[in-house]
Amino acid sequence: MPDSLVSFIQVLRTHDVRISPAETLDAMHVATTLGYSDRTLLRDGLGMTLAKTPEEEAIFLQCFDRFFDRQLADFSEEQQPDEQSAVEDNETDTASTPDQDSSESDTTSESSPLEEAAQSDPSLEELMQSELMQALMNNDRNALSLAMTKAGEAAGLQQIQMFTQKGQFTRKILDAMGEEQIRKSVIELERADSPALSELQRYRDILREQVRDHVESQYLLHAQGKTQQFMEDVLSKTRLSNIEHTYLHRVHDLVRKMAKKLAARHSHKRREYRRGQLNMPRTMRAGITNDGLMFDVHWRRTRKEKPQILAVCDVSGSVAAYAKFLLLFLYSLQDVLPRVRSFAFSSNLGEVSELFEQYPVEKAIELVNWKYGGATDYGTALTDFANLALDDINSNTTVIILGDARNNKGDPKLEIMQSIYQRSRQVIWLNPESRRAWATGDSEMQRYQSACHFAAECNNLKQLERIIDQLLKSTR
Amino acid sequence: MHNQDFPQLASVESIKEGFESFGYICSDKIATAVFLAFQLRKPILVEGPPGVGKTELAKTTSQLLETPLIRLQCYEGLDEAKALYEWKYGKQLLYTQVLKEKLGDLLQGTHDLAESVERLHQFGDIFYSEEFLEPRPLLKAMQQERGAILLIDEVDKSDYEFESLLLEILSDYQISIPEIGTVKARTTPMVFLTSNNTRDLSDALKRRCLHLYIPFPTVELEERIIRSRVPDVDEKLRHQLVEFVHSLRQMDLKKIPAISETIDWARSLLLLHADKLDEELVRSTLNVLLKFEDDIDATDSELRQLIRDTTRD
Repeated sequence: MPDSLVSFIQVLRTHDVRISPAETLDAMHVATTLGYSDRTLLRDGLGMTLAKTPEEEAIFLQCFDRFFDRQLADFSEEQQPDEQSAVEDNETDTASTPDQDSSESDTTSESSPLEEAAQSDPSLEELMQSELMQALMNNDRNALSLAMTKAGEAAGLQQIQMFTQKGQFTRKILDAMGEEQIRKSVIELERADSPALSELQRYRDILREQVRDHVESQYLLHAQGKTQQFMEDVLSKTRLSNIEHTYLHRVHDLVRKMAKKLAARHSHKRREYRRGQLNMPRTMRAGITNDGLMFDVHWRRTRKEKPQILAVCDVSGSVAAYAKFLLLFLYSLQDVLPRVRSFAFSSNLGEVSELFEQYPVEKAIELVNWKYGGATDYGTALTDFANLALDDINSNTTVIILGDARNNKGDPKLEIMQSIYQRSRQVIWLNPESRRAWATGDSEMQRYQSACHFAAECNNLKQLERIIDQLLKSTR
Repeated sequence: MHNQDFPQLASVESIKEGFESFGYICSDKIATAVFLAFQLRKPILVEGPPGVGKTELAKTTSQLLETPLIRLQCYEGLDEAKALYEWKYGKQLLYTQVLKEKLGDLLQGTHDLAESVERLHQFGDIFYSEEFLEPRPLLKAMQQERGAILLIDEVDKSDYEFESLLLEILSDYQISIPEIGTVKARTTPMVFLTSNNTRDLSDALKRRCLHLYIPFPTVELEERIIRSRVPDVDEKLRHQLVEFVHSLRQMDLKKIPAISETIDWARSLLLLHADKLDEELVRSTLNVLLKFEDDIDATDSELRQLIRDTTRD
């Protein structure tokens, strides 16, 4: 049992639940304390040690049910509709009256046509004696699930990664369990037009269905997490403008996840000493060692004022996709960066912070794009920005500008950039174009760069995450 | 706690029964958590919306085990001097004064400096000793001879630094005092931490705890809670009022009414001698359930429909 607990934890890890070795040990203790007999009790207990947030708990419950539900669905119940259909079949097919006996024979323990047929056919007789058939006929779910699990392990079912592999694994497991024999017999019975045919067929179908279910649940258990990790990995390295619309919601989730990670890393609030208020107890305490002379003074600590971030985003066609993610990122980080003001422009610039207060981030971004999208003019935009916000820029302000700096040969108004540069704590320019393209055509990037503390190429989530990580480090 | 035998904590069932006898009706999950916390000597981190009985759980456990409850309310700026220990400065100062006076007697007969220092060293120093130590809740919990229930309430309100301070206590049940050394718990206390999830707690803290999430109860469970807390309420009214609160919880409200509000409401209805819900009654007592004017306004238009739904059967 400890082994299966460990592999269960492995499964949880692929589903993005972070579990340390210490927690694995805790889970073992829990399992030995509670015992394995009461399933709900065990589930509650393990959940408390392994899942640390309500979201993780939901994942845990799902995985627990899939993983430990080796108890197969009771297929004696499933027989009911089968028999019904068998009966209906018989009604249309008047030739096979003995079949009706077979459906009754399950409830009464008279010998079924299958057994009768077996008496005259040694190969069928042999099949009937096999463990597999015994398990099927006696409705022994434990034996069946055990055999299935074993066959699954032998076939390497835990390595399943793609849904396309499901059929292949189902076949492998069926073969390993000896389904071939049943299949052969079915063909023979078919040829002989034997009354036992439908019964054997039913057992075969039950078996197939059970194996298919098993593979399906194992796929969900093992592959889903892996596929998701793979997807996220790829998405975080793809150019943001190339991500297809269908994957956008995944990217949003990913951004949120990254933001959460960064928030956790940087939520540590630093304090600084501000002279002014005396901390009497500490000073007295320090003074005691000096015979009560309090010359070693201590001051009350106060929290440092939080820095301000101004995000200026170009939302013209070429850059809109990137602006979206920058804003998504910044607003997901609101817990850590509480004072983000955002501005959007193509030619005219306006403050859009309010939109983000009123609407959820996605909706707000849509509105921004709709309101400010158009042809770019950095000169006008910078003038507008200076009118709106230049007075608020001080040594606590970080200005992030996202844009490709392609100004359609207009006046770049570099002097405004320079005054922003001088007033602010730092100016960061994020350009989705690759560095090589910065000096080509109508790009003003090289000139603007001279008025930035830091300019970087930024076109996928990985780069964005790294830059924002740095931003958080430097603003605190 | 653990070297003693508590028949109340022998099994999940007995915990449930014990809690019930003190009027705390709980789900299997809560009882399992308490059972495991005792067996594995681990703290429980209780999360959930306000008013579902997180603090009450610790209080009831203390009643059940007849051990003292030591409570530490967390808030921003809480530091070790308020949570762990503090030196009694005043007394320490006096002690140095007394010492100065006695110094002459003490050093009588010494001839040179080296000898005086030698003599001083032989003299036992109690300046930094337990006598001048003022224990705060956490240290107090460690010092209890017969164990204690330690409730660290609303740990999410405390600062990040304070969390790190808790780690040593939560995993090893000991406190390091630089001047004295390590103080180990005489008897391991049972620790409950509660959190309203106003911020994410650190992984290090979460890892050391059993994680218990208490959601709003089901209708059936809440009815049992009301029966045990406000036994005089008529069965029909009880069902109606719980149903009503449950439908309120489905609505988009600023502050969703919790169990404590349901209990308060049941009590007020009892005082008003109500035997069933009607619109007039609900409207006049709604402020017991909803704590924001906005919420009361928002429900106003749907009140009639809600009451009709809950009193239908």
